[in-house]
Amino acid sequence: MSEAETPLLEVRNLQTHFFTELGVVPSVNGVSFSVKKGETIGIVGESGCGKSVTSLSLLQLISDPGKIVGGEILFNGEDLTRLSNKQMRKIRGNKISMIFQEPLTSLNPVFTIGSQISEAIRLHQNVNKEEAKEKAIVMLKKVGIPRAEKHYYSFPHLLSGGMRQRVMIAIALSCNPQLLIADEPTTALDVTIQAQILLLMKQLSTEYQTSIIIITHDLGLVAEMADRVVVMYAGQIVEQNNVYELFKNPKHPYTKGLLNSIPKIHQLKDQLESIEGNVPIPSQLPAGCKFHPRCAAALEKCRFQDPPLFQAKQGAEVRCWLHQEEVIGV
Amino acid sequence: MKKYLIRRLLQLIPVLFIITFVVFVLVYLAGDPVSLMLPEDASEEDREALREALGLNEPFLYQYFHFLGDLISGDFGTSFRYSQEALPLVLERLPATFELAAASMLVAIVLAIPLGIFSARKRNSFVDLFITGGSVLGKAMPNFWLGIMLILMLAVNYQIFPVSGRGTFVHLVLPAITLGTGVAAEMTRLIRSSMLEILHQDYIRTAKSKGVSDTLVIFKHAFRNSLIPVVTITSLQISHLVSGALITETVFSWPGLGQLLVQAVNGRDMAVVQAAVFVIAILVIVINLITDLVYRLLDPRINYS
Ligand SMILES: Nc1ncnc2c1ncn2[C@@H]1O[C@H](COP(=O)(O)OP(=O)(O)OP(=O)(O)O)[C@@H](O)[C@H]1O
Ligand SMILES: [Mg+2]
Repeated sequence: MSEAETPLLEVRNLQTHFFTELGVVPSVNGVSFSVKKGETIGIVGESGCGKSVTSLSLLQLISDPGKIVGGEILFNGEDLTRLSNKQMRKIRGNKISMIFQEPLTSLNPVFTIGSQISEAIRLHQNVNKEEAKEKAIVMLKKVGIPRAEKHYYSFPHLLSGGMRQRVMIAIALSCNPQLLIADEPTTALDVTIQAQILLLMKQLSTEYQTSIIIITHDLGLVAEMADRVVVMYAGQIVEQNNVYELFKNPKHPYTKGLLNSIPKIHQLKDQLESIEGNVPIPSQLPAGCKFHPRCAAALEKCRFQDPPLFQAKQGAEVRCWLHQEEVIGV
Repeated sequence: MKKYLIRRLLQLIPVLFIITFVVFVLVYLAGDPVSLMLPEDASEEDREALREALGLNEPFLYQYFHFLGDLISGDFGTSFRYSQEALPLVLERLPATFELAAASMLVAIVLAIPLGIFSARKRNSFVDLFITGGSVLGKAMPNFWLGIMLILMLAVNYQIFPVSGRGTFVHLVLPAITLGTGVAAEMTRLIRSSMLEILHQDYIRTAKSKGVSDTLVIFKHAFRNSLIPVVTITSLQISHLVSGALITETVFSWPGLGQLLVQAVNGRDMAVVQAAVFVIAILVIVINLITDLVYRLLDPRINYS
């Protein structure tokens, strides 16, 4: 990060916990990262590590029994956690928008897709009904919906999953946001459609200078889309670096494990590795390093002492006792 | 849409046949009307003569087709209690019943929508518990008991409302509350549960992520969807409304179809019973058709084939 440029988004020590009947679930436990203008960052990690909770926290959309219990979310220097509900609504869909994993259920079945796009436009822009409709049709064309004027009046169930995700992108980008959060935007789609949707997101974000947070467990997708990568494990960031260094010089044993589990062309299938064991349930985290029960390189220390985030070589930030060069955070 | 309507209407024809048959069999099984029509000391010859004259000695199917023939010309026979044709007698009671039904639906809707939404939003709070408990109670209360209690408290003790009869707006209040409470209770429960389910849907999260206000999320995005199951199940509740109307009208001497039917059954005025049951059956069918259409208007995912 260059010193002069303040990042668009800076998350500092975010903590989101769920207060369930069975106890407190610390789903996100001290996450810090930042996103510069025009930058795309990828958040990766296994299922349940807190990626969705992190992204919903950014928009203050965590619902009961969840609560942001600590940290700051600085967006253009303003702490979103301190905003009133009303102020926050002016940001949602306008400055920060979100695309979800489930295109089939993310659109309201009883309203036309056109009205769902216009609604977002009218909420944040001072336009009348007709102008909103025109803008919505422009957006539909931009995201590649054929016969946009006609499909403006279609109900969601008439469209395929890929088309619906395009509509979601149209909604998300309709107010020209500064930040787009895409939570596994292509997981539910066919491979060919996946590529189209990603390409579309990339084109539009370049056109509009939108920063993107893309959440996924697909490392191939990260390699293609992201400038920086954040690796999460059990509600914490275990490693982050720019995409080139992270793939070339992974530091954390978990990151190495993740990378080894992607098939490569020159590898035979049976050489594929997977990480032994399962992600711990956030309510039953082990003492010490959260990853040590699954870590082949674990030291004695790892069992008792939770490692802080270290600044390691090649610009990496790593939460691992094996890379204890310089402490930069907790 | 048009095709669908036509098909639905054609489907009614066999249903109507079944209804006429059931109505006929009911009366056929109810026993010999002759003993009621003649004085107790009538001779056996007189009875036989009357049976012959009424066609009661003909075979069952013959009697049924004869009955059908009369029906087609709108003739349900003559009420011996009122010495009038049965069908006009029944039809002239309809406005009173419609008035009561509309007023009690209004009571139900006005109570159920806010209560259901409120208790879904404040799930598991004290208020929710109170509303949910109240709706269980409201459903469990029999119409006749609630009607009598209301009369005792608000018409006899405090004399705010008239005890019975129809005429002004104040006459309508107690019967409408009596009949509306049960429906309101059921609707509240339904709206609450369908709202609860819908508030967890992905499209609600999408709406919020667009910056839609909480009020609009509830009343525009969620409520419209929650009506779909509510309308479906409400149409299944219509039979309860009908039986409730019979009792409520009787308790309040409300001069509607229900009261007429109960009196006719008690007096074995079979022509009126037949006409009333037939008209009620048609009403239920029409209401079902209407709710079905409303349901289709609410849910664009349904197609008409
Ligand atoms: N409403 C909730 N109540 C209790 N715990 C919750 C709730 N929502 C999420 N969690 C917990 O938070 C943890 C993180 O969930 P999250 O959805 O962020 O995972 P994720 O990384 O997005 O996984 P996936 O890849 O499957 O989407 C999970 O272990 C889950 O149990
Ligand atoms: Mg997720």
